[in-house]
Formats: sequence, C-alpha cells, structure tokens
Amino acid sequence: MKQTAESIRDRFLKLGVDVPVEDVESRLDELINKFKVPSNEAQRSVTNYFLKKYSIPKNEFYVRQAEPQLTKIVDISENGQWANLKAKVVQLWENTHESISQVGLLGDETGIIKFTEWKNAELPRLEQGESYLLRSVVVGEYNGRFQVQLNKNSSVEKLDEPIAVGGGDFTPAARESELRNISDLAGGQWATVKGKVVQLWENSHESIEQAGLLGDHTGVIKFTNWASSELPDMEEGKSYLLKNVVVNEWGGKAQIQLNRSSSIEELDENIEVGSSTSTYFGAMVDIQTGSGLIKRCPECKRALVKGACAEHGKVKGEYDLRIKAVLDSGTSTQDALINRELTEELAGISLDTAIAMAADALDPGVVLDKLKHELVGRYYTVTGHKLDRYILVDSITQKTSLDREKLDEMLTLNETLNKPEVQ
Amino acid sequence: MPGFFREAARRVFAQELKDSNLTSRDESDQYAPQYVLTPTGAKVNRIFLVGTLIEKEDIGTDSEYWRGRVSDPTGSFLVYAGQYQPEAAQFLSECELPAFVAVVGKTSTYTTDDGNVLTSIRPESIQQVDELTRNLWVLDTAKQTLERIRAVEAEEDQNSKLAKEHYSTDTDSYRTMVKKALESLEERK
Repeated sequence: MKQTAESIRDRFLKLGVDVPVEDVESRLDELINKFKVPSNEAQRSVTNYFLKKYSIPKNEFYVRQAEPQLTKIVDISENGQWANLKAKVVQLWENTHESISQVGLLGDETGIIKFTEWKNAELPRLEQGESYLLRSVVVGEYNGRFQVQLNKNSSVEKLDEPIAVGGGDFTPAARESELRNISDLAGGQWATVKGKVVQLWENSHESIEQAGLLGDHTGVIKFTNWASSELPDMEEGKSYLLKNVVVNEWGGKAQIQLNRSSSIEELDENIEVGSSTSTYFGAMVDIQTGSGLIKRCPECKRALVKGACAEHGKVKGEYDLRIKAVLDSGTSTQDALINRELTEELAGISLDTAIAMAADALDPGVVLDKLKHELVGRYYTVTGHKLDRYILVDSITQKTSLDREKLDEMLTLNETLNKPEVQ
Repeated sequence: MPGFFREAARRVFAQELKDSNLTSRDESDQYAPQYVLTPTGAKVNRIFLVGTLIEKEDIGTDSEYWRGRVSDPTGSFLVYAGQYQPEAAQFLSECELPAFVAVVGKTSTYTTDDGNVLTSIRPESIQQVDELTRNLWVLDTAKQTLERIRAVEAEEDQNSKLAKEHYSTDTDSYRTMVKKALESLEERK
C-alpha cells in the first residue's frame, strides 16, 4: 500500500503538486481495509479525490501519464486494457443508442475491431475512410468479442497518411454484396435482395423511417429502414432492388436493415411473392398463455398486457379470441396462431359466449381452460402462411379417421422386415 | 438456432419406456434438461401419450399427490401430479375411471437401491379424449418406433448407435411389440 501511495504521489508531483503521502496512505487504508474496496478501485478513488481537491482536470492528468505504447488491433487481448491505436475508420454504423455518439469498425494492417464512442467523450466526429491516432481507448468485451471504447479520457488525432487495412478494403461500397433469395438470408451478413413490399407497418419509432415485410418467390422477411439511412420511402405493392442491406437475427428470425450504406432501386417488374404456405401435421401439445379471450388495442390491434398496450398505454381494449397453439409431430414442434373465426369453429363457442363465460366466472382463464379441454391432445393438420416461428393458420382440421390402409401397410412392412431376420 | 427451443414430445410405447435406464444431462448447466435414451434411440425429455387411465390414487400425505396409471397396448405409464401440476392433479382427482386421456409431460427417473431405473411422467397437461385419438396415437407411435428401430439396425445416428451400444437392443422384440400394438387396432375393424 505504501508503494501505491507513493506512486500516486509521484504522479501528482509530475504535475507540480505535492500531496502528503500520509494522507494518501490513510485514505487508501480506510477504503481497502475498512470498507473492503478492491485495491485498484481504491487507488482510482483516491486519485480522483486529489484531482478534485487541487482542481486538476481529469483529462490533463490522465493524458500526461506515461502513454501506453501503440497497440496493433490483433494484439488486443484483454478486457479492461487501455490502448493507443493507429487505425482507419473502415465503417460507420447506425447509432442505436442516445448515449453513443458513433459506432463502427476500425482497422489497421493486422485486423478490424468494433469501436464505440460515447457521447460524453465529447470527441470530434470520426469520418469513414479517414485514419486517426486514437489515444487511451479502453478494450471491452461483448458477446465474446473485443471492442474498443472511446471515453472522456480518450483523444483523437487525425492522421495525414492513411493506415492500410489488413485483409483488403472493407468498405461496403467497394464490395457489393451478393444477390440472395429471401429464404436463404441468415444473420450476420450483408446481402442484396430483390423483393416486393408486401406490407408497410405503422411506424413505431422516430428513428425508423419505414418498417414492414418484403417478399420474393422464396419467402417473406421483415425489413427496417432507419431514418438515418436517408433513403427514399418505398411503396406497398411495388418491387425494389435493395443493395447492401444488413441481415441480422432477432429472436431467432432473420430480418434485414437498410442503413447508410444501402441503396434502393425501384424495379419495373412485379415480383411474385411466393405463397409460402406450409402444412403441418401433429398433436396439439400445448395452448400458450395469451390464448383464449384477450383484449386488443383499438388502434394497433396488439394484444393488451394487463390492460395496457405496449405502444398506446392504457386503452379500452376490444375483445378477441385466439389460440397460440403448439403442434408436435414427435420429431419437431410448430407454433400456430389461430384467429377468432377458426377458434370459434374449433371450440364451438362464439366470442359472445366466451365473454359471458368469463364474466360469469369473473375470470377469462375459464375460456383458456375450455380451449385446452377441447383441443389439447388431439391430432390436427394446419395450413397457412409461415411468419417467423408461427404458422398463421388459414385452415385447421382435426384428424377424424384412422388410416386403415396405412395400418395394413405398416403391418406388412413390419412382417417383411421381420422375416429375413427370423429365418 | 441459439437459445431457447422447445423439446419435441417423443412418441414411445410404455414397454419401451419401462425398458429404458440410460439418462443423460449436461452437468455444466443446472437448467439443462434431463433426457432418457430408450432402447430404440429416442432421446426423451418431453413425451406425448394417449392411453387409458385405469387406476388413480392420492398417495400424498400432507397435500394431494396423485398417481395415475395410463395403459397402452404394450404396458402402462405412471403419471404423478402434485401441487406443482395443479391442472393435472385436479383432472386426476375429478375424472372417472376408466377414461381415454392424452398426456403431455416430462419424463423423470428414479433409481432404486438395487439399481433399477424407474421412469415416470410429470404431466404438463392431461385431457380426456376419445377412442379415435387414442388409436391415432398408437398408429403414430408405431410409425415413429419402427422408424427408430430401422435407424438402430442401420446404426444411423448418434442416438441409435448409443442405444445399440448400451442396450444391445434386440430390435426383433421391439418389432414384435409394435406389431402387437398395431394388431390391437386391427381387431376393431
């Protein structure tokens, strides 16, 4: 601890301030031994105390310190490490959070790394394609990958000579991504897609320009066009070529995002959207919560949770009936959404009856129980459009007869297979 | 797909489940599901069965704890439902015997002092169904069991290899079991 105290004193001496070493030590002692603060935290806290006491700006103090050596991106290997980098801004991304001022990729001859610049760092804006000397950035780890963060203590200096980036030029403009079918899109890639705007959704957030569904002959996918992409609006029913969109996965399903690097071209052709109807046969093994008698927001039709809509807050809901069912074939499972009409038909109750049942029992749960009672355990075939993990059910039929032919066929098959081994 | 996925409910006849004694579980993860590997290589966590509820008994001491016996053409399954399976427990307490029931649940195993593994079912749901549904299940389960038997004979994948290795599965006897089950449907022609 004595050493720590002296090193703190030494650092202040360099700034021309003589702090009493006993004072430093007693403060450290109190934090570490009495209040069980980890030593490095205590050290920082004590340092900050004296900085404040002598009104030394933090930046000045930290910058004056012996500078860490220049680090190559490939050598970044430790969470919490400080580093100085000479790197080129390979790509700037959409900024998703208000406390972040810029986010993107930095590259040098050894590799590429993600960077985040916090708003409170108050640094000049970095430009894509320019090279900089970045001092005192902090290495962080997120999702198993390293990234660097620019904070209040970091500094940025533009370099005249460009830094070469290893592995070629990563700027998306230089590398047009491949044209792909919508059904082949998977997370974490760039792609170019051709598709028709099947549906435009009501815009839920000011940072989103447009969101909706895009379809081609292989399927339908959700798209988001960020306001910051500064791309033109698309119209429902028209077909477009979307270049350099980002595919990512959310909740296990792929979606595409248009950003500043993307482009939109309207096409003359009318792209046929594949009728991606699928059929599934299995036993209904579960009806999930959120099924039965529910209330929907009168504005956006979303299901209410505890009487409130995620978008519009407390609203007077409209009653609806629906089933979120899980069908199971024994080797796979399939979620199915069954609308009011089909629910009424399947369960033999109308919406009004359901409302009356719930009112009578003072509990909408009785409707759910009734549905489970009528449907769970039975075999059904459903058909409908596939959206994410759901089949939006157009038709559902209960299996009502045993396939005698199949039975006979299986018996004979079993016989014939059995015989050679018996002999 | 990363993260959560739903376990498919396997289709296994009672006799085969009774013969099963190989359990596996990812020990590094306390939330990892437990599986039972059956002699034909079904890796069972969730199970779906339709059969006849032939016995029920409240074996609880303080609170209700119901044991039900559900039979299929090859044997019977034991289903236990207590306070954590309120819907299933309520069903068992109220229903009349015998009845066709469809059970969705998780398998759980118990090893006796002499090393026998007993497999029972903790139901997520029990519903009364009709005879047709029961017959459909028998056909469905026969089909899937035959498919697994074929895979074991061909030692097609990890599970069938493991099953063959552990049980030295006599596939003929399971073919006979399936045949018996299918014939029980035939008689009703």
